[in-house]
Amino acid sequence: MNIEEYISSGILEAYALGELSDQERSEVEKNLTVFPLLREELTRIEEAQERLFMAAAVVPRSATKKNLFEKIDVQQAPARVIQMPQENSRIGFWKFAAAASVTIALISSYLAYDYWNRWRKTESNLSDLMAQNQRVAQDYNTVNQRLDQIENDLGIMNNPDFQRVVMKGTPNAPSAQASVYWNASTKEVYLSIQDMKELTDQNQFQLWAIIDGKPVDAGVFDNNFAGLLKMKDIATGAVTFAVTIEPRGGNESPSLETMQVAGNVIKG
Amino acid sequence: MQSKDRDALEYLYDHYAGALLGVISRVIKKEEIAEEVLQDVFLKVWDKMESYDSSKGKLFTWMLNIARNQAIDKTRSKEFSKEKKTGDIDNFVNRIDNEDYVEQKVEAIGVSELLKALPDEQRFIIDQHYLKGYTQSEIAEEFNLPLGTVKTRMRLAMKELRNLLHIA
Repeated sequence: MNIEEYISSGILEAYALGELSDQERSEVEKNLTVFPLLREELTRIEEAQERLFMAAAVVPRSATKKNLFEKIDVQQAPARVIQMPQENSRIGFWKFAAAASVTIALISSYLAYDYWNRWRKTESNLSDLMAQNQRVAQDYNTVNQRLDQIENDLGIMNNPDFQRVVMKGTPNAPSAQASVYWNASTKEVYLSIQDMKELTDQNQFQLWAIIDGKPVDAGVFDNNFAGLLKMKDIATGAVTFAVTIEPRGGNESPSLETMQVAGNVIKG
Repeated sequence: MQSKDRDALEYLYDHYAGALLGVISRVIKKEEIAEEVLQDVFLKVWDKMESYDSSKGKLFTWMLNIARNQAIDKTRSKEFSKEKKTGDIDNFVNRIDNEDYVEQKVEAIGVSELLKALPDEQRFIIDQHYLKGYTQSEIAEEFNLPLGTVKTRMRLAMKELRNLLHIA
């Protein structure tokens, strides 16, 4: 586009005076955004035009201004009251926005605090539950192990290869009783106690097998176990089992005067 | 905010009401009606203040266009047709000849003083176009001039006016 020609055509003057059709008008507006020169020229034209019209001004009567502003006050006052929330000035909007944001901030901090509390409570509940769960799992394990052991013990007791030797209480401990399950071919020995007295920390029970008239150590035990306790292997030839009280850790030879229980192997 | 808008409107009125009434008066001769239209113009400015877009022109240009349209609308209204029309070209021409074309009031600065320095033919075009409100083609037709000539004189006159007003 030749800008000089465009300016010379007088279209900007016509634009400034509002004489263009809508189509011409929007064309000029488009060109104004593209060519800064046109904008500068338009500004000068508008300025000259404004000065011209200012020079040709006709002063209105003062009553006209009074009437006008009365109309504006009347027209605006009631309308403003009703339209306050929606159409009202930007400041009103910002006031509303500020109030709203303060309210929102208050509500959300309360909610945040509330949720934080709940979260903490939930978290502590959760750790309680986890601990509980762990305890249950441990209990289950314990029970399971115990059950395994009982099954195992039961297998031994029901095994015909194991011979049960009942040891009755001696005059030292008439009510005491214990049993030995002995498999002569595998040499395995298991002990179960029914009623043995409490010992001090320094002492332990010791199981003996009498083979060829000589006591053979079959291991030490405390009275705090349930089910069967595996003892030392005992080879064939044992005729009697007996329990004595010995210093903790066991003794090489039995202190016969402390014997608690004894029982003979019944020859099958 | 509301009172600020009102203050702004009052400023605009104090500043531009005279210029706009001048424009309106050249379309509507009767003083009361012209001032009624002036009020309508400012009511419209008040209502549409938000829609003014400075990228499309100066504030005065915007108000000027509202005033011109409002005045022209008024001449087309039923109410107005009862009144004596002044849109009669002979009237204007006579008034120019008599040099008493604005009879209502003394002009604020004196446009004739301003235009005095222009060559006759240029002053005439500006007078017809800006002050009487004729379009360029109406002037060409009425005074039997080629449209191109009207446009050229128009441009020259405006340039000259800018020189007189020291608008670089």
